[in-house]
Amino acid sequence: MQGPLFPKDAAPLRTLVAAMAVMSFLAVLAVGAIILIDRAVTHWSRGLATELTVQVRQVSNRDVEKDVESVLAVLKETAGVREAEALPRSASEELLAPWIGSDGLDKLPVPRLIRVLIDDRRPPDMAALEQQIATVVPPARLDSHRRWEAELRRMAGTLSVLSWLVLALIALSAIAMVVSASRAVLAANQSIVEVLHLVGAEDRFIARAIDRRFLSAGFYAGLIGLAGGVVVFALLGFLGGAEANGVAEAARSLFYIPRGDERYLLLSFLAVPLAAIIIALTTSRMTLMRMLSSMP
Amino acid sequence: MLRVDNIGLRYGSGPEVLKHVTFHMKAGDFMFLTGPSGAGKSSLLRLLFLAQRPTKGTIKLFGTNVEHLDRSELPKVRRRIGLVFQDFRLLDHLSVFDNVALPLRVAGERLSNYRQNVLDLIDWVGLAPKAEVFPDTLSGGEKQRAAIARAVIAKPDLLLADEPTGNVDPVLARRLLHLFAALNQQGTTVLIASHDESLMKAMQKPILRLQDGVIRR
Repeated sequence: MQGPLFPKDAAPLRTLVAAMAVMSFLAVLAVGAIILIDRAVTHWSRGLATELTVQVRQVSNRDVEKDVESVLAVLKETAGVREAEALPRSASEELLAPWIGSDGLDKLPVPRLIRVLIDDRRPPDMAALEQQIATVVPPARLDSHRRWEAELRRMAGTLSVLSWLVLALIALSAIAMVVSASRAVLAANQSIVEVLHLVGAEDRFIARAIDRRFLSAGFYAGLIGLAGGVVVFALLGFLGGAEANGVAEAARSLFYIPRGDERYLLLSFLAVPLAAIIIALTTSRMTLMRMLSSMP
Repeated sequence: MLRVDNIGLRYGSGPEVLKHVTFHMKAGDFMFLTGPSGAGKSSLLRLLFLAQRPTKGTIKLFGTNVEHLDRSELPKVRRRIGLVFQDFRLLDHLSVFDNVALPLRVAGERLSNYRQNVLDLIDWVGLAPKAEVFPDTLSGGEKQRAAIARAVIAKPDLLLADEPTGNVDPVLARRLLHLFAALNQQGTTVLIASHDESLMKAMQKPILRLQDGVIRR
């Protein structure tokens, strides 16, 4: 059994492991955020895409109840509409009350709402439906929620980009830390490196002897970060109080084993320790080789 | 084997520490390099074991000009040179066995192929009972013998020693020089930097005198 070319305490990488573990932990949180945002957007879009609202305004010389009936008749004859239900006037009043108060609402010409569920696999031609409703009942207006959907997508997109930026910054910080640690290790073991050079060691041989330590540092840091991230999501999901229900539900969803294409998202978590190993190994190798090549 | 022609060396913008140094060694030669402190002995040795490049002149080692040799070619040449330093330069975290085996290990040899050779050499330098101990438990003489064993384990063509007897008592110094002579008889070319005139006289080998960076014949 041969002793290691560099003493065990030659590369005190505990600080690096601790710092990279924190980075990995943050990366796991960022990856979790990206997955949750992706799922939320899919869920919201599906919900918005399957539900429409028709608003029937009260105008003078027209019977709003008849207008509602007419719109319902049009909807029921339209292919792709699964269900159409006129909401009672009280439902419209409830929506308006927070904005203008409930006093005197019964005297106002409150618009009536029709909730429409559509078949998302064979949705109706929205433009044609909108046109038809406007022709039959001019004061009626079809609201397909597209504006809201676009807003939600924009917001989700922004959050996703921010999460990716955070991941990139984490990776850059990890690279900077490994560069600094590699330099410190080489500087602290200058005399050993000199002897190895003089007995004929190649730079690659010396770098390999050192960067094994960085490989294990990256591995442990990645695992610790992953474990920490999983624990946080588990705590959020399974111990979160009722007031944190939305967050808890979202966190819990990360532990569901999804079907189909979503499965790859969960593999993203495993990419964090893998990335930690790759960053530690390649960065230390490149830094060491560059420094060794500047030696005599 | 070794041809040094009109070598000059200057560290940065300082004065020249070696000036117009020229000498040759044939395979199997044994030569001393001497001179007062600061004469440039260690600088010359650093040039010869390729830890430093000359400011001017040429150095031909084993038939190859090495003064501008590409860095990637240096390990191959260095593996043909054995080095002994006054301060031993043993790696304290490695056993005597591992220190002696170091040149073979860095050359990619398999432990199973060289284990017995290393043990035999350690026995030859009289350190058999200490093969598994670490250098910090060895005496100065034992360290120097371990360093010599490391220098010759890969059967180098050229052995360079910088004041190898500087840290040992006169009796041990004489024994070490006889060890070098024995290696020389086996075909290794030997160049020893020393300032111990009595030892050099006793060995009756050619002496290269260096003073103020210049060879004095």
